[in-house]
Amino acid sequence: MIADFIRVLRAADIQVSPAEAIDAAAVIDAVGMRDRSLLKYALSHSLAKTETEKLAFDECFESYFLPPEPRPTTSDPQQDAAEDNQQDQPQDDDAGEQQGDDESNSQASAEASAEAGAQDGPPASLTDMLEANDQAALQAAMAEAASAAGVSEARLFTQKGMFSRRIIEQMGLQELNRDIHEAEGGGDGERADKLKQGRAQLLEDIQDFVERQIAMRTKNAGRLLREDALSRIRLSNLDRSDMKIMRNLIRRLAKRLASRHARRRKKSRRGMLDVRRTLRRNLSFDGNLFELAWRRTKVERPKLIVLCDVSGSVAAVSRFFLMFLYSLDEVMPRTRSFVFSNRAGEISDLMREVDVDEVMEQALRQYGGGSTDYGMAMQDLAEATLDKIDHRTTVMVLGDARSNYGDPGHLVLKEIHQRARRVIWLNPEAEAVWDSGDSEMRRLGAYCTQVKMCNSIRHVERVLDDLLRQSV
Amino acid sequence: MRKTENQARGAIEDIQSGYERLGYVSDDQIATALFLAQTLEKPLLVEGPPGVGKTELAKATAAYLGLDMIRLQCYEGLDESKALYEWQYGKQLLYTQVLKEKLGDLMEGANTLDDSMGRLNDFEDVFFSEQFLQTRPLLQALQSDDGVVLLIDEIDKSDDEFEAFLLEILSDYQISIPELGTIRAKKPPLVFLTSNNTREIGDALKRRCLHLYIPFPDAPRENAILKARVPELSEALRTHIVDFVQAVREMDLKKPPAVSETIDWARTVVLLNMDVLDPEFVRNTLNVLLKFKSDNDNVEAELGRLLRETQGVAAS
Repeated sequence: MIADFIRVLRAADIQVSPAEAIDAAAVIDAVGMRDRSLLKYALSHSLAKTETEKLAFDECFESYFLPPEPRPTTSDPQQDAAEDNQQDQPQDDDAGEQQGDDESNSQASAEASAEAGAQDGPPASLTDMLEANDQAALQAAMAEAASAAGVSEARLFTQKGMFSRRIIEQMGLQELNRDIHEAEGGGDGERADKLKQGRAQLLEDIQDFVERQIAMRTKNAGRLLREDALSRIRLSNLDRSDMKIMRNLIRRLAKRLASRHARRRKKSRRGMLDVRRTLRRNLSFDGNLFELAWRRTKVERPKLIVLCDVSGSVAAVSRFFLMFLYSLDEVMPRTRSFVFSNRAGEISDLMREVDVDEVMEQALRQYGGGSTDYGMAMQDLAEATLDKIDHRTTVMVLGDARSNYGDPGHLVLKEIHQRARRVIWLNPEAEAVWDSGDSEMRRLGAYCTQVKMCNSIRHVERVLDDLLRQSV
Repeated sequence: MRKTENQARGAIEDIQSGYERLGYVSDDQIATALFLAQTLEKPLLVEGPPGVGKTELAKATAAYLGLDMIRLQCYEGLDESKALYEWQYGKQLLYTQVLKEKLGDLMEGANTLDDSMGRLNDFEDVFFSEQFLQTRPLLQALQSDDGVVLLIDEIDKSDDEFEAFLLEILSDYQISIPELGTIRAKKPPLVFLTSNNTREIGDALKRRCLHLYIPFPDAPRENAILKARVPELSEALRTHIVDFVQAVREMDLKKPPAVSETIDWARTVVLLNMDVLDPEFVRNTLNVLLKFKSDNDNVEAELGRLLRETQGVAAS
């Protein structure tokens, strides 16, 4: 049963390793199952290990370990009262304690009561349970029947009917129908009506239960699929509604990239004994080696200058490129970025301070508007950075190279190319349409170390990964 | 089954009251976490915003259990020679110098090269013995006889390698020193790791730990904390301070005030003998609560409103 709960957690994007599953079992041994709030905290400590996971965990726990639901009935006022009590129950510990002693109304989940029910002796027939309106026993029987029917395998909502049917049959529908029939035949109409009502209610409950089970297990399958698709989609075709998922995706990809390369950078920081420096340093001790010097490998961080076109068609790609780039600030802290449409302007500081959407808005207001002018933009870039560009600098230009038949700025680019270590041109257009119309890709491409197509997050990730790899 | 539950619940309540006696106001979550850490002998990773009492929790636990606390503050570049052990190179060298003088005596009578090598070999073992071992916090924790509380503070500040290095200690409470072999804990220490989440902690480490997240406290708990920490404060004033801080926390700030800052501020109030929070006083002491100029300005602009609103709540 804990294994099943863990499957639910995994579906909700909580990473649970086998080792943690074993821990969870040990935890249950230590705290038991009756005290719901205690169980929740304890499992949360051992299974959910980030703030977001905790939130997701709470949700899963609440829907998986349901407190037995109260249901208004006409039969037994005393039981009604007891159940109302339960409804009012806040989820704090005192309540848990009071309830802990009350066997049949215990606060534990349906499954937990299944265990209790099994210990109580032979299961009562469905008719008896309905007549007594014993919700706890019904829940228990339902859970048992559900696992026999294999509900945990259900993945599609269209399977709801089938599974509900299986469950109710498992619970003894046939006998119930027979009893109803007998009651009708025997003239006990009242009893028959009550049982029928009970049957309808039960079926509804079961359907709810199955629905919840399916929802719980498929919550995230769709999202994962979506993310995968999004990482390949052309950025310019992106829907507004996907923006949020996209952001998360970028943040995650960037984190992965950053941690991979951060580790490499630090690794080479560890050194071996530097004999030459050790000897020199210890000359004052008469050659006795008191102070040791370690060999260090200096690892360069990539020095990056980026020029992004923010006019019309390329804007969407630029936005995500910049977003990605600044998520990597940790491993590439010396990035300078410029955006241009007709004039270029620096946004490095802005990017670190405010949200990318705002930056784009400001940038468009300030530098956008006019028609794209590569010549002018290159000139601006050269003016601002040419003296900073050296053999360690990588220059990246993101643009479609369509200069509206104006000066493409290739002469300036040539100058940059001569000084820089690498010039990489990223073009969001497909390779087939390069050089068509006013595209100057060939002329500009001559002064680039590399020209690459780049219009999806996959591409962006690959480009930046290469960059970080080569910078060492 | 029933029995273990009651025991668990009882133990957790004991822990809570124990903390309370020491002036640390805990809640169910925290006490449960400690109970599990003790029962399962697993390290406890405590996360949360700065100043919510993560380090304090370890200290309170040590006091509650009557154990010594060994603290290892992490920082970038921390490595095993500072965390675990180091050979005392200086001392070793000094001994070599002494030995040099005696070398002639020692080698007397050794005719063959093998013979002298054999004699020298005997010394090598001496040089890599515990005599020359400088123990650092982690090794100290393992060697302690009665068990200790080991606090590995701000693990997120250390490097990835150090994290990986901790794995052996955290899962098996043992450590391998190449020259000496594996050292096993005499009594497993109770390990606390704290993190401010400046960096994502590795999955391998998380897997080995229980995880406790301490958020900013809600008003009643903060009130209880203040009561325990600054008992001189009057009831009404305390409520007002708590409500005010809670309101400030809801604003969009660079660094919202933490519990430690609330306590500092409350102490300031006591020190200056204030009976009510008047705007003038609050304005002058806001820097105790807020650590950024821009935050300061933001709150100052809203000060009148905040004080009025919280005053109303406190009075009613």
